[in-house]
Amino acid sequence: MAKYTKMAYSSPDEMVFGHAKEPVSYGFGIKVGAGRVIPELNYGPRPGSEASPEKLRKEYVDYISKDVLNRCVTLGFPDVQLETEWISQMGDPKMATPVVEGQRAICEKFHEEYGINCAVRQTIPDQREAEEGYRPGMNGKHSYPEHLFQCAEVACENGADVLSCETLGGKELGDYATTNGDIVAFLFGIGYLGSIDMEYVWKEFVNIAKKNKVIAGGDTNCSGANTSMFMAGGMLDQDVQRTYSAVTRAISAARTLVAWEQGASGPDKDCGYEGPICKAIAGKPCAQEGKNCQCAHADLQGNLMAQVCDLWSNESIEYHPEFGGTSVQCWMGSLGYEVALMNTAIQCNKEKDLRDLYMITDRERGPEGHILAYDNAYKIGQAIVSEGNNYYLRAKAAGLTAAKLIKEHNDAKELQLTRKQREVLEGIIKDLEALPDDEDKFFEYCCKKYADVPNFTLKNYGL
Amino acid sequence: MIDYAKVDFAKILRRYDVEAQNETTPEAVAKTMLPKDPVLYKVAECVLYMKFKDVGPATSEALKTKDALDIINNGLVVGMECVAKLYAEHIYYLPEIMMAAKTMEIGIAIAEKQIPGGRTTKGTVVMHAAEGDPHDIGKNIAAVMMRSSGYTVIDMGKDVAVDDVVAKVKEVKPFLVTGTALMTTTMTAFPRAASKLVAAGINIPFMAAGGAVNRDFSESFDLGIYSEKAPQTPPIADKILEGYDWKRIRAEWDDIVGA
Repeated sequence: MAKYTKMAYSSPDEMVFGHAKEPVSYGFGIKVGAGRVIPELNYGPRPGSEASPEKLRKEYVDYISKDVLNRCVTLGFPDVQLETEWISQMGDPKMATPVVEGQRAICEKFHEEYGINCAVRQTIPDQREAEEGYRPGMNGKHSYPEHLFQCAEVACENGADVLSCETLGGKELGDYATTNGDIVAFLFGIGYLGSIDMEYVWKEFVNIAKKNKVIAGGDTNCSGANTSMFMAGGMLDQDVQRTYSAVTRAISAARTLVAWEQGASGPDKDCGYEGPICKAIAGKPCAQEGKNCQCAHADLQGNLMAQVCDLWSNESIEYHPEFGGTSVQCWMGSLGYEVALMNTAIQCNKEKDLRDLYMITDRERGPEGHILAYDNAYKIGQAIVSEGNNYYLRAKAAGLTAAKLIKEHNDAKELQLTRKQREVLEGIIKDLEALPDDEDKFFEYCCKKYADVPNFTLKNYGL
Repeated sequence: MIDYAKVDFAKILRRYDVEAQNETTPEAVAKTMLPKDPVLYKVAECVLYMKFKDVGPATSEALKTKDALDIINNGLVVGMECVAKLYAEHIYYLPEIMMAAKTMEIGIAIAEKQIPGGRTTKGTVVMHAAEGDPHDIGKNIAAVMMRSSGYTVIDMGKDVAVDDVVAKVKEVKPFLVTGTALMTTTMTAFPRAASKLVAAGINIPFMAAGGAVNRDFSESFDLGIYSEKAPQTPPIADKILEGYDWKRIRAEWDDIVGA
């Protein structure tokens, strides 16, 4: 499949929320990236609801989905996308099928009754474990690779509108890299091997989705760059430096892009904070999260992430009662009104002003948001496409460009860094610049250097 | 793009991380904490500065004049204590902890060979990530911290079935079992495992932790205690060794972890 070697947008200023170069339509009247932002509500069932297929269906369909759709009608929201991130127990088709079927049916009912545009994204679980093998036929105890593709079939055959996944390829090296502050290990695990895994997995997902006339959405590097960002945490957290996590985010964009290169059409996944970079390159719609996902986690770019989104998500909320209704209803209100503001801006031709205000508020809150500000994200995108045909070189270019942007803006006093953040940043630039330009030499070097990383084996990547 | 050149960002946000920077340096901590004895100093310094290529030769050299236990307790471990102090003061961060622990373990492995019967452990802990949960980075960090604090860790890995946890506890008789979970639907394994332990007459604390888990949940079942972050695990374990049971850990949790 062809790789991206040029940008979809001719300038960063061309990018704005609600508009994508390649809009996508699906479900009951949903059009993403076609001129308005769509709220995407994600939820988790209560502990104990996984006890039986009937309990789980009731939780997801009769309680969660119905509550969300009712609240949308109550508040006058024209569109909503539901996202079901499958819990591990849904690896069993007996658990998953009634949920998928039920959600489609209730969406159809609300669409027919009220005319609300709605759809469901089914995000299947990647339970593969490096120690058991990432690919089918590796005879792991749980047969997780086989289950991964079976889940895709179950989702697509029973009513998914969009198929997504948070794949884990490269995680064993990504975890090692982040706990040890080793950017080269991250580049090798996530940027290089992770991309190879994405190519393998998404080729098959796209086939399954096409066969069933379902939209293959996209992925996220949740298991790598989000782990890094989560551990970097807030202002006073002390596990991982935010200059490190910012660079991992840029590297992850080169990996997330692979799903689209393999034929997925977008939208990608909300928790992929690398979305602005990917959208700048591909022009496909992206889902994002930020200020309205505080129910799931805090981050330092809550406004900024809305700047070029096409779907706006709450990440996830456990279903439970609140004063204002159930938790999913309360967060639906929060999401829906934010999206209404964005869509009002579009209608008033003020979308670029609002985009910039979102971006400026968080641009200097930290290095992670800084490199995702749409002008910087665009530059990282350019670095990726300049080496677009080579997974290693493009991921390295992404990381190095992000690191140098942060350094340049810190030097210019545009972005403050602590001494430690700066020290780590300089180490990253030094480490990345020392790497060879030749992929084979890089591969050989990394295979030797990381041979003892727990559970790392080239067999998982077909190598 | 809107011109933001004149924006006063101090009116929008506050960089507490930049403001809270600590002026202390590793060298300053080394001066006050590292051993005065030059041989032990050299060993401890290797840990403090994460010189994992040098720690082997330094330990072997020290063994020519020093007792192995002396090298471990007054050299390698002291170096790690400096690292812990630097971590607490926001000068060192997780990667330094991981690399220093690795360095210390290299030294201990060499010194231990000279101790008949091996080095005595402070105690054995069984650690795992819940069934259905593929995320175990927090457990792995806590395991390193427990090992570097002198505990023996039986790491069962991730996605571990309840019955396997119970069987392992029966087999190795640890003083503490820990479980981590990132999802609310996998953390339900912990009360199930704890109740099986109680039914088997085993009354050790069951530490429930991880992204999905909160203190209220951890304390909602018999044996359950909480750890919010990996570095809290060793001080809680120390208290259990002092004789605290799970009820007393709960009662004094804030004081133990310094919350």
